[in-house]
Amino acid sequence: MNKGIHGIDRKKLIAKIAVFATLASLFIFVFLPSFFLISFTFTKWPDVYTEVFANPFIGDTNWIEIQKHLALSLRLAFFAVMLDLLFGIPLAYLLARKKFWGKGFLEDLITFTLVIPTSGFGFATVLTWTTTSGLGYLIGRGIVDIDFLIPLINVPFMMLIVHIALTFPYIVRTLQAKLEDLEPVFEQASRTLGAFPLTTFRKIVFPLTLPAIFSGGVLAFARSLGETGATMVVSSIYTTAPIAVIRWVSQFKFGSASFLGCLLIVVASAVILPVEFVLQKRGGPTFRFFSIRRIEKKILKTEKFVSRRLSRIKDVISLIFILLIVILPIIIVLNSVALSWSHDPDTGRVEGSVLYQLFGPSNYFASLLKATMVSFASAFVATYVATCIAIPTVFLIERHRLGRFIRSMLRIPLIVPTSALGLSILLLWGPGGLKLVNPGVWLIVLTHIVFSVPVVVEPIIATFEGSEIPMFEGAARTLGATPYNTMETISLPLLKRGILTGFILSFTRSLGETGATFLVMGSDVTIPPLVVNMVEALAIPAALFASTYLIALSFVLLLVFRMVTKR
Amino acid sequence: MQVQVGSRILGVSEMPDVKMLNVTKTFDKGRIVAVDHVDLFVHDKEYLTLLGPSGCGKTTTLRMVAGLVEPDEGEIYIGEGRVSGLPPEDRDIGYVFQQYALFPHMDVWDNVTYGPLVKGWNEKKSEGIGREMLELVRLYERTDAFPRELSGGMQQRIALARALAAGAKLLLLDEPLGALDAKIRNELRYELRKLVKDLELTAIHVTHDQGEAMAISDRIAVMRKGKILQVGTPQELYMKPQHLFVAHFIGESNFLEGYVSKVTKKETVIELRGGLMVRTLDKTHKEDDKVVIAVRPEVLTIEKGKKEGVNSLFGQVEKFRFEGTNTRCEIRFENGDSAVVVRPALMTEWLDVGEKVTVSFPVEKSFVFPYPKRGLREELTLE
Repeated sequence: MNKGIHGIDRKKLIAKIAVFATLASLFIFVFLPSFFLISFTFTKWPDVYTEVFANPFIGDTNWIEIQKHLALSLRLAFFAVMLDLLFGIPLAYLLARKKFWGKGFLEDLITFTLVIPTSGFGFATVLTWTTTSGLGYLIGRGIVDIDFLIPLINVPFMMLIVHIALTFPYIVRTLQAKLEDLEPVFEQASRTLGAFPLTTFRKIVFPLTLPAIFSGGVLAFARSLGETGATMVVSSIYTTAPIAVIRWVSQFKFGSASFLGCLLIVVASAVILPVEFVLQKRGGPTFRFFSIRRIEKKILKTEKFVSRRLSRIKDVISLIFILLIVILPIIIVLNSVALSWSHDPDTGRVEGSVLYQLFGPSNYFASLLKATMVSFASAFVATYVATCIAIPTVFLIERHRLGRFIRSMLRIPLIVPTSALGLSILLLWGPGGLKLVNPGVWLIVLTHIVFSVPVVVEPIIATFEGSEIPMFEGAARTLGATPYNTMETISLPLLKRGILTGFILSFTRSLGETGATFLVMGSDVTIPPLVVNMVEALAIPAALFASTYLIALSFVLLLVFRMVTKR
Repeated sequence: MQVQVGSRILGVSEMPDVKMLNVTKTFDKGRIVAVDHVDLFVHDKEYLTLLGPSGCGKTTTLRMVAGLVEPDEGEIYIGEGRVSGLPPEDRDIGYVFQQYALFPHMDVWDNVTYGPLVKGWNEKKSEGIGREMLELVRLYERTDAFPRELSGGMQQRIALARALAAGAKLLLLDEPLGALDAKIRNELRYELRKLVKDLELTAIHVTHDQGEAMAISDRIAVMRKGKILQVGTPQELYMKPQHLFVAHFIGESNFLEGYVSKVTKKETVIELRGGLMVRTLDKTHKEDDKVVIAVRPEVLTIEKGKKEGVNSLFGQVEKFRFEGTNTRCEIRFENGDSAVVVRPALMTEWLDVGEKVTVSFPVEKSFVFPYPKRGLREELTLE
């Protein structure tokens, strides 16, 4: 009981040091790299200005390019999110409210596109839509050309398809979780009052889940804006903003690259942070819709018709959608690998076979093996360090007065497009800045830590808030446990599931990251850039094998993920 | 006055009967039988209560009437029409949920006029009925409030108004008073009954509170383990329980085991454990049948000392409690059986623990049931 004044002082001191250490590591490893690009651009403004707006040879060509790439990225992200919503909302509803055979499998497929390294998936998609090995088999030529631009909206078809496949899980998973929390009693009440299922959705379910739809949309938008790996593979003649950043860095046009990176960060923040801020308010906002009676009657009639006649169709469409954009590419890659295993299926030449490219003169197998080592090592170290920072950060968020602020700030690394982040790291720690680390595996680790911390923090917070930890901690304290004991025996074990989930999510994300890695990897190539290189070198059989390898890897990760998150 | 207006707007002149024929519902691939071959008939303008312990299938029964759950077997009729397979929105019912399910993103007015709106009624009619119903539950001045700003009792009344405003011909109430404080619950139960009667509605009400069921219902259906054991007026269930469980669940009973030792034209004599003899007017059992006699604690009389007489049992006081209006005395008889005696406090002598007493009851005030196959204790458990 009687600890004396010095005892208390020491405890307070330790607590202060812990808070300071957490804040410091957050700042150094997470926030500083996220913002450095902006300050870099400002401090080097005269150089940047000359290069972008007033180049003595080409004038403001770079500025025009920047506008073009940024506009494409924004259009792409916007339409991808719109289509995500169109297909994702019915899918989330189906998964949250209905029981059916194969539901677990469907959920796995949706998680699958979250964990797969995107360059491999991009290649599978290209194969599916533009070649006779894919859907084109049916009509004897590719369904679309790789550079097919969708008229009116001016978005390349392949990019849109790939971005939808990679971003719709954010909508589905966020909305599904929200719907599972929302008791079906409101929908039932609406039905007993005479509303058709679709009317019930419009007037009850939609307004009540709007915050979740928004935050899912925000995540999807951010992901689309920053997506690099798959986009590079399907890009053909088009250039999105993240690809432009990478290309310019490799051409040493740092001024244009950093200015575009800055714009990406600013645009992403301007679109996303206001939405986030509104959504973070306690309990979320309530949305009220005013309805106009005259239109209302017509809408009701349509809804009655759709609810009665077309209710199955929307489920079927959602499933066909999944089939086309997720399942088919996987099947086609596997099929193509099998077909071209020992010789080219069209010409019969051995040089065009998977085996020849892997073990022949180009020896892609050795590169793949080395890339695997680099990928796993950097992903593991980055995730481990990120977890060590994330756990105390969660306690800080829940307990400290700066908590809410830190939580909002942690959204930023998630929405900073990774190629901009890579550039930032390169200019901060790398040879362009403090010269502390050369491009290579350690710079990869430093880069991946930045987005891994928020990825790990989110599930831990969710677990924290869902498990009444303060109550159990209180109980432990009344039974005589010290704060440290409580942490060790109560809080951490209760958070175990959240920590594991965060760890795996972060690990898979790190493994699949392409945009930033391209800029910071030097000669330590990881798997996703390797696939991009293979495609660019037209080593198609090797790319096929690497994609298959990545798909297999993702299935293993998916299994682990399932084991951990299974309730 | 309001009643007439209300009836006109609602068009409640043609009221339905509800018929359930041989209805069964199982969950978890048949492993849990929630409702087991139930037949139920609810009369026009009747207030019927489904009463039973939790998990007895009463809410599932109600949800099947509403169309929120589809039966595995059997047919349900509302009025003349068979409603099996019909979605809830086509059944013309009002359903009051246990937690009210007021839409949190709509204010009181939008909640109450939701039914008329989604049914596409014209504006004037919708507004008229919304106002009508809110006045009926005396909350017209709170139209702008959101559900979270209202007390539990108010939310309950809004939920009721909302169900009524949708033009319900049949009102289904799932533990509508369950989430309220005892005092408000008691007040609202009379209001609820008055409203249903004034508007001439048919109501099916689900509760596990027998006091509520007794106070509010025209008839009560007692359920246990998915079956309806007995349907009757509150008096019938109390005076003439036809099932051991009903005698136990409606009111309170003492149960004494024994064998029928003699059947005469006038009476049946039953031998309890230890050779004690009890006379009853039962006519349904043969000699040597194993039976259980149920006697209400409030029909037992108690006297100090050992007195001889018809149906007099001798024992001693084990517990004596003053409970306000009544006293409650637990007696252990010579044969080891025990019984509870409840008497009005003002008319009872105070007894000490250990005191020798004689307990007796009139011949006509007992019920005799066959001894349940799976044992008495099992038969009386609530789960």
